[in-house]
Amino acid sequence: MRRVNQLGRAAAFPLFFAGLLLAWEVSIGLFHVPAYILPRPSEIALSARADYPLLLRYTFITGTETVLGYAVAIVVALPLGLAIAFSGLLRRTVYPTLVSLEMIPKIAFAPIFISWLGFGLLPKVIIVFLVCFFPIVLNAVAGFVSLSEELTRFTRATGAGTWRAFFKVRLPAALPQVFVGFKYAAMNASVGATIAEFIGSDQGLGFYIQIATGNMRPDLAFAAIFLLALLGLSMFGLVTLAERVLIPWDISQRRIRGKN
Amino acid sequence: MPHIDIRNVVKRFETADGGVHAFGPATFTVERGEFVSLVGPSGCGKSTLLLMIAGLLPPSAGEIDVDGRPVLATRTDVGIMFQDNTLVPWRSVRRNIELQLELRGINPKTCRERIDGLLETVGLTDFANRAPFELSGGMQQRAAFCQAMVHDPDTVLLDEPLGKLDAMTRERIRADLQRLWLKTRTTVLLVTHSIEEAVQLSTKVCIITPRPGRLDSVVDIDLPWPRDLTVKRSAAFAGYVSQISDVFHRYGEI
Ligand SMILES: Nc1ncnc2c1ncn2[C@@H]1O[C@H](COP(=O)(O)OP(=O)(O)OP(=O)(O)O)[C@@H](O)[C@H]1O
Ligand SMILES: [Mg+2]
Repeated sequence: MRRVNQLGRAAAFPLFFAGLLLAWEVSIGLFHVPAYILPRPSEIALSARADYPLLLRYTFITGTETVLGYAVAIVVALPLGLAIAFSGLLRRTVYPTLVSLEMIPKIAFAPIFISWLGFGLLPKVIIVFLVCFFPIVLNAVAGFVSLSEELTRFTRATGAGTWRAFFKVRLPAALPQVFVGFKYAAMNASVGATIAEFIGSDQGLGFYIQIATGNMRPDLAFAAIFLLALLGLSMFGLVTLAERVLIPWDISQRRIRGKN
Repeated sequence: MPHIDIRNVVKRFETADGGVHAFGPATFTVERGEFVSLVGPSGCGKSTLLLMIAGLLPPSAGEIDVDGRPVLATRTDVGIMFQDNTLVPWRSVRRNIELQLELRGINPKTCRERIDGLLETVGLTDFANRAPFELSGGMQQRAAFCQAMVHDPDTVLLDEPLGKLDAMTRERIRADLQRLWLKTRTTVLLVTHSIEEAVQLSTKVCIITPRPGRLDSVVDIDLPWPRDLTVKRSAAFAGYVSQISDVFHRYGEI
């Protein structure tokens, strides 16, 4: 009985999603929506199959921009977050600067970067980097400075040096908050890449969507949109997996709480 | 020379709206090997005093000396059990106890027997490999007790260690605590709300007044050891309890 229950639970999302697609498929016919306005999922799938070599190549290009920008953001933001957390001077200078910059929609910089750097990979990576950098650095700072008073005192009373205290207490305690930043950035990374491609590029899924729409081919545009969704989901899935491996205690705690 | 010498100690916290008088003044001494309880109502500054003795908070006025030398920095030779437990969620009970050792640069493998012994004492042997959030509140407190004791501290500071336990377990752990103390004769400072607990366990009881907490008086408890049920039913025991209760009664506290 429990087996069946578990299976049912695991199948709930795919079934629901399939149901949505089916409803879409059926209502197009029901309400006589023309294909140049909104195509059926089945039409989208067929068109995607016909154009798959190009779609695949563009997915790879947009994926590269997204992953590169995301990775560079982590490499830069994490050490910077640490430095801010541990330096009073940086906390009074760099930190408020970052908080103010965070208010600017990063996409606003895209046209400028593209006018400086052209249609290539670099401006897209920079835009993705900007989109990802802020949530990662701000959450890292929050994580590293918010060790409970009790744990801070406990660690101090052991006489542990800065590094030992850091690796044994402060770092693991900060990881859940650090991952909040990682996950938020992962969700928004491909948004940055797509909009940057809208603004100026000659390849990638964003570029593809614009061309397809211009050619009155919403079926192809939707195919690219599905691929973008897939790209975002895989990024998010990978980060969630890393979270589960690195901080299983946090996940399991939430799980147990969730059950009660 | 007393082990801990507290003279005219006062603590104020400076806050945005002026300041809070958190504790003091208080003057008393603790001899080496004594078991001293601090009793007083909530908010009277018991935790604050304990933190000052540990060197984790500087007094605003007055002096605290340990073995004749002023406490100027955090002391690392004490075992502290904080009011909120310091178990970390990413380590099992055993590994939490080991954290105390690892932070001190001691290889926990060399202390296996000691850890097993402590777990045994508090009845957590079967839960050594569980995560803290799989334990009840009282079990977490017992684990935190082991964590505070594992490095064999010179002085033990316990902030309401039995606060979250049910009456029965409380009674048992009190007996265990007394047995442990009679065996080791470590210096212990215990914060508690329970007058009976203080009288049962202590060589002397410091009575702290309601907020802002001053030291009202110190009562020496002259009862035979071990203080088992017979002693607790004696007239002398009841006498001490009512003597201390009367003080709080005067302050309108009970
Ligand atoms: N960091 C702080 N900043 C400002 N005020 C504080 C701080 N810590 C404690 N206080 C104040 O000092 C007073 C004493 O607090 P303390 O925690 O020592 O009380 P307590 O006797 O341990 O109470 P309880 O029995 O409830 O634990 C309280 O009025 C509290 O509000
Ligand atoms: Mg307290």
